[in-house]
This record gives sequence, C-alpha cells and structure tokens, in this order.
Amino acid sequence: MTGAPDQNYNVFSSQALVDVVGDITDEALKASRMKQFIGVLGGRLMNWGQRKSLFPLHLGIKCCALEMAAAGGSRFDAERFGVFFRSTPRQCDVLIVNGPISKKFADPLVRLWEQMPEPKWCIAMGECAISGGPYYQSYNILEGVETIIPVDVYIPGCPPRPEALIDGFAKLRQKIMRIGTKPSTDRAGDAPIIVGDD
Amino acid sequence: MAEMWISMGPQHPMTHGLWTLRVKVDGETVIDTEPDLGYIHRAVEKIAELRDFTKFTTYCDRLCYASANTWSHAYIYAVENLLEVEVPERAEYIRLVAVEIQRIASHLMWLGAYCPDVGNLTAFVWCLREREMMLDLLQELGGSRLHYNFPRVGGVKRDLPIGFAQRCRTKINLFLNRIQEYEALLDESTVFLVRTQGVGYAKPEEMVNHGVTGPNVRAGGINYDVRWAHPYSVYDEVDWEPSVEKPSIKGADCYDRYRVRVEEMQQSGRMVLDALDKMPGGADTHHQHGDEAILAKAPLRAPEGTSGFHHFEDSRGESMFYIVGGGEQRGKFPYRNSIRSPMFITIPYASKCMIGYKVADIPAIMGSFDPCIGETDR
Amino acid sequence: MGMKIDMEAAEVAANLVVAQGRSRWGGTGLTMEVQHHAGGRFKRPYIRIDCPRQHWLAVAKWLRFDAGVDHCSMITGIHWPEGPDERRWEVVIHLMRMNVIDPPERGNWVEQVVRDASILQEEDVPLEFEVSICLPDTRTPSVPSVQQVWVGADWNEKETWDLVGIDFDGHVGMRRVLLPHDSPVGYHPLQKQHKLRYHDFEEMYDDAQGFQRKPVDAGKIK
Repeated sequence: MTGAPDQNYNVFSSQALVDVVGDITDEALKASRMKQFIGVLGGRLMNWGQRKSLFPLHLGIKCCALEMAAAGGSRFDAERFGVFFRSTPRQCDVLIVNGPISKKFADPLVRLWEQMPEPKWCIAMGECAISGGPYYQSYNILEGVETIIPVDVYIPGCPPRPEALIDGFAKLRQKIMRIGTKPSTDRAGDAPIIVGDD
Repeated sequence: MAEMWISMGPQHPMTHGLWTLRVKVDGETVIDTEPDLGYIHRAVEKIAELRDFTKFTTYCDRLCYASANTWSHAYIYAVENLLEVEVPERAEYIRLVAVEIQRIASHLMWLGAYCPDVGNLTAFVWCLREREMMLDLLQELGGSRLHYNFPRVGGVKRDLPIGFAQRCRTKINLFLNRIQEYEALLDESTVFLVRTQGVGYAKPEEMVNHGVTGPNVRAGGINYDVRWAHPYSVYDEVDWEPSVEKPSIKGADCYDRYRVRVEEMQQSGRMVLDALDKMPGGADTHHQHGDEAILAKAPLRAPEGTSGFHHFEDSRGESMFYIVGGGEQRGKFPYRNSIRSPMFITIPYASKCMIGYKVADIPAIMGSFDPCIGETDR
Repeated sequence: MGMKIDMEAAEVAANLVVAQGRSRWGGTGLTMEVQHHAGGRFKRPYIRIDCPRQHWLAVAKWLRFDAGVDHCSMITGIHWPEGPDERRWEVVIHLMRMNVIDPPERGNWVEQVVRDASILQEEDVPLEFEVSICLPDTRTPSVPSVQQVWVGADWNEKETWDLVGIDFDGHVGMRRVLLPHDSPVGYHPLQKQHKLRYHDFEEMYDDAQGFQRKPVDAGKIK
C-alpha cells in the first residue's frame, strides 16, 4: 500500500476529527455518570464471564491428573461449571498443578505460567504441589509449587477427590468475584484459600 | 525437504505423562527420535532406604498411579521373598481379586486416554464411566479411590467387606456386557481402524531383546505371561488364559495391542468372578482386621546378607523389585530397593518403532504401548 | 483352569543349565548354583551366578546364545562403603529366559504360538537368573557393557550410571536419564555418602567427594 492512510482521507474522516469526537463523547459520558455506570457494568460482565468459564491447561504431572481427568468424566462432570481443558497455555486462565515439581520441570512450569496471559490463576492440587507431599525430603523435588509461582487455591488430598477439585473451582470463583482482575504478580501476599478449611 | 527436531515437550496432551519426545522430521516423516525422561524423578529408591517395609507400600502405589495395586503387590511379594513369609490362601485370593480389578481399571484408563488420541472422544467418557465402577469396588476394598495401600507383609489389610461379593459380581457382569458396546464403537469405526492398523509394527523376539514384555509382546502372537511362567499367587487355580493376538507377518500393530488389552480385561473379569467363587471360607465371610486367615505374622527386620526379588505381571509388562536387607536400624530398613519399571524400557523402544511413519502416527503408536511416566521416573 | 509351569520341571531345567554352566566355566572363578525364592506359595528355583568382572561379557554371550536367555530385566548397582574389600561395589543383573520366538510364517499369515505350560520340559521352561559382579574399592567402578548382547540393557545401564555411578565400558551414548542434564558431574545420589536431601548445592559439596566448584545455577530457585 503506497501512501500513508491519512493522505487518502478527506477532512471529514481524518484522525483529528475522530479524536475530537471521542473526547467530546468521553466528557459527556463522564458528566452524566454514564461512563462510571458502563465501566462498573462492563467490569461485572467481564468478571462474570471470566469466572464462569475457567479454562485449565491440559497438564498432567502425576496421580492427581487422573482425578482431574475423572472430574471431567461423566460422574463428576466439571464441564457443567464452564471448565474446559485447553492444550495450549495461550488460551488458558487456570493452571492446575497436580503433582510434584522436580528440578527439571521447574523451568518449563515457570515458562508455561508466563505464557498464560493475564488474568490467570493457579490451583495447587494435591499434597505434592502444596508442600512436596511424601517426597518432600527428596533431592529432586521442590517443596511445593508456591516456591516458583503464586498459588491461589490449595486443594489438599492425596489425591483429592474430584468433588474436592470442583469445590476448589467454586472457591476460585468466589475469589475472582472478590479480587477482580488483580494481576498475578500482586497476589503474592494474599491469604491462601484452602479447600476444606471452613 | 527441511529436516528439523521438534520437541513434543513436557506439556503435551498426547504424551500421557510428563516427558519429552524429540522427533527429527523430514517433512512429515519421522526419521529419528529421542525420549527425555526424568521430569518427575522423585528419588523413590533413595527414600526407600529410610522407610520401614510396611511404610514403603504407600510409595509403591504412587509409582504407577494408573495401576496402583499391581505395584504395591509387586513390592510386597518381593518383601515376602526377602523376609521368608508365607501368605494364607484366603489372602492370596483377595490379593488376586484386588490386582485383577486394578488391571481392568488400568486398561480402561489406557483406552480412555488412547481413543481421543486417534480421534474418538466418546470412548473417553465411556471408559471413565466404567472405570468409576471399578474404582467403587476398589474403594470398598482399599479405602481410597486411587491409592489403596492394600497389601501387608504376610497378607492383606482387611477382608472383603460384607456384601462385596454380590456387588462385585453385578458390576463385573455389567462391565463384561458393556465390552460389546466398545467393540461396536471401535472395531467397526473406519477412522479408528485406519489410524491403528498398519502402524507401529513390532515383532516379539525383537521386543523381548529390547526388554519389552507384557501385553505388547502378547500382541505379537506368543502367549508368554509371567503369571504362568514364573508362577506366584493362586493364578493356577482360577480359570483364565493369557490373551494372545494374531498379528500380521510384519509384526503386531497398534490394533493388535488394543485388541489384546480388551481381551485382557475380559480375562481379568473372568478371573475375579472365579476367585470369588473359589475363595476359601467363602466370599461372604468377613474376618476381623489382623485375623490370621488374612494376615500371617511376619518378621520386621531383614538381616544383613539377605536379598529377595520377584518378577510380577504388571498391567504394562514385567515389573520387578530387588530388595537387599540389612539397612539402617538393624535391618528395619532395606539397604537397597531397586525397582524395575517396564515402561522405562518400553518408551525408548516405542520411540524407535515410530521411525518411518508420519507425524500424525506418533500419538497412535506411543499411546498403544501404554506409557505411564510415574513408574518410569520413579 | 489357569496353567502353570510344573515346579519339578523347573528344578530339572535349572539344574541342567547349572550343569552346562559349570562344565563350560568351571575353574574360572565363576560360581553357579540353583537357589530358591524364600517366600510365596511355590519356592521357585532361580539360578544365581557370581561372576568375576573380567568374564562378564563372555558369560553374557554364553547366556544369550547357548542358554537361551533372551530378556535382560534389570541392571542395578549397589554401593557398599563398609563392605568387605572385594565387594565395595556390586552390579546385580537380573535376566529371564522367556523362550519368546517370532510366530512362524505360513505363507501370508502367521501361526500363533500358544504354549501349554504344564507340558514344558528342559530347554523350554522359562527361568530366572541373578548375576552378581563384585568390584573392589575404587573411585571409578566399571563393568563391561552388555548393550550389544541385550538391547534392553541399554537404558538400565544408563540409569545405573546416573544414579549409582558405576560406569559401563563400551556403552555407546551414556547420558543422564533421570537426573536433570545439568546435574553436577560426579553426583550420583544413590551412593551412601550422599544424604537424601541437601538444602542447597553448597551443602552437598562439603562432603567426602571433595568438589571444588559450584554449579552454574547456584542461587537460583531449585
């Protein structure tokens, strides 16, 4: 394409006109409080959409992955809650860590976490992801996945029942309602949510 | 064409576990492969040197998590060879029931994970539904859905619950009927047949030289099974046959390996029903926890200089534990506990099997050998 | 009814192999005998071989081609720092004779091989073998590799070197298989001087192996 787009426009569709119209609309909306109203409504709509359609990653590390698969099966059926597993981290918003993290897998896991776009949440499922589990003394296993990525919900169990995983999703939904789109880097100091702790 | 290495990296929906398969492709054809394991190496063999014999059973469940009972039983048989313990006959029957129901559940998990790889998503939900039935039975026996810690040195943890025999018979009969549905879905589906027939040929002699055993070799047309070749437990008293397939001249393909596992599920169901009929004392009696009919007295310590090993027919091949006694605490811990995982040896062989086929055949071939990375990485 | 190998036939077959072995290897320092598993319903016989290090490759070839042992089940290593002088390192190899053959071809189809276990005799009986190679005290224990004899030994040997530190002469493609690839050179965790867990690599290096350098990832999240 030759020539800048501006040169092909006449004065009624120039960039300057678009900017002026935009600024006037913005001021009008702010004056009549509509902007705030639309912002809150839009934010609530986005939050509703995010928490009702959590897409976890197809990551199966160890035994808890079988319970995660069973949660997707027909008896427990996580899909009725909007949970749908995706194979690529670029399309996911939840990372379910379901096994012990070895030194070799720490780097790929952090890379997977960083490939997920914001907003994203992490669920530590099972004892191995929470604290290293029965292998906490092992020379190759990290003491919990929270040493490398921030965790939002902990689901204890070895392995936790699929109902516990679905309850973990429910607690995550409540947390998303509370915190909105707070980025994951700011969540390091938040109080942990532990399934079964109430 | 361009040759390049592609990494089917640790997170991949079709590798059934956490490992990397690096494939060198020339266009669409695979010309070389290199598996990379160790992503969940948990140092279980080193942990074993600091655990009692009974306490280590919980780790053995978690070795191959799809088939937990077979691993804890393999370990306990090796410990009984080390400590020179004889098991009461009723306990052997109960162990057989637990192991064979677990074998059915493991093969169902395999089928449920394999069929989506070749394009059939219905079988995933069907297999998980059947597996839930088997897990209900195992939950009655062992107490948990996935890791049971069921056998003890000298017997089993507890007897069959009251009413278990009737529930077990109902569920196994229902399952054996439902296998016809699977056959109608898969064996008559053109897509499944095209994707699994004619790919991944493997011949038995070569497989055994490479260390591959179990259903993969039986798919090649020979009925070798550790349960009759190196007999243990009461397999000679229940009604069963090793399931063999009839391969083609080039060897066993993925379809044969699938058929042999479906037949094995039927044989396991048959074994369970027969064992419930033949159980000494009847399947409806219930002995108390620790009764000598289900648990023999066993020594706690293995003195220095002793060792024991046991070959066991796991759902995926021949597994083995080799335990040397005389460890710390005057023999309460083992000095060395060495674990032989069939999948550790099968995965390099399966990677070699893929050479010459297309990239799209990789999940079909890899899945048909039934990889489970928990036991591979120990 | 399920079938099983007759235990007397297994005894006879095991004694036959031991007799052949003794006549072939008698006087070389190799001992071969039939032992029995101590637990379980059937006290199954197995053949225990104590092999000196220099004969191992020849014995492996004899086992494979003359005794028909076609499956290498496991190769493992044990570190005995407080053992007798001639047994500071031990390599234990478990083998099985499975008698698995390719199903015979009949024109353009193959005939299945379905064996009846109760009638198998002598050379057809499957057997278990346990070979033990003791090594004296050394900082570089090594044993000849049997990668060419049984391909199944390949990854077993890699794992033994990776975890225990026993090297295999003639092994092509030795590399770390279970530990991360950037593990420190010379770190073999199943040796007895290593603890189960070190809280960082500095602590590991204070021990008897006397390393001088730090790994490249010291200080990073482990």
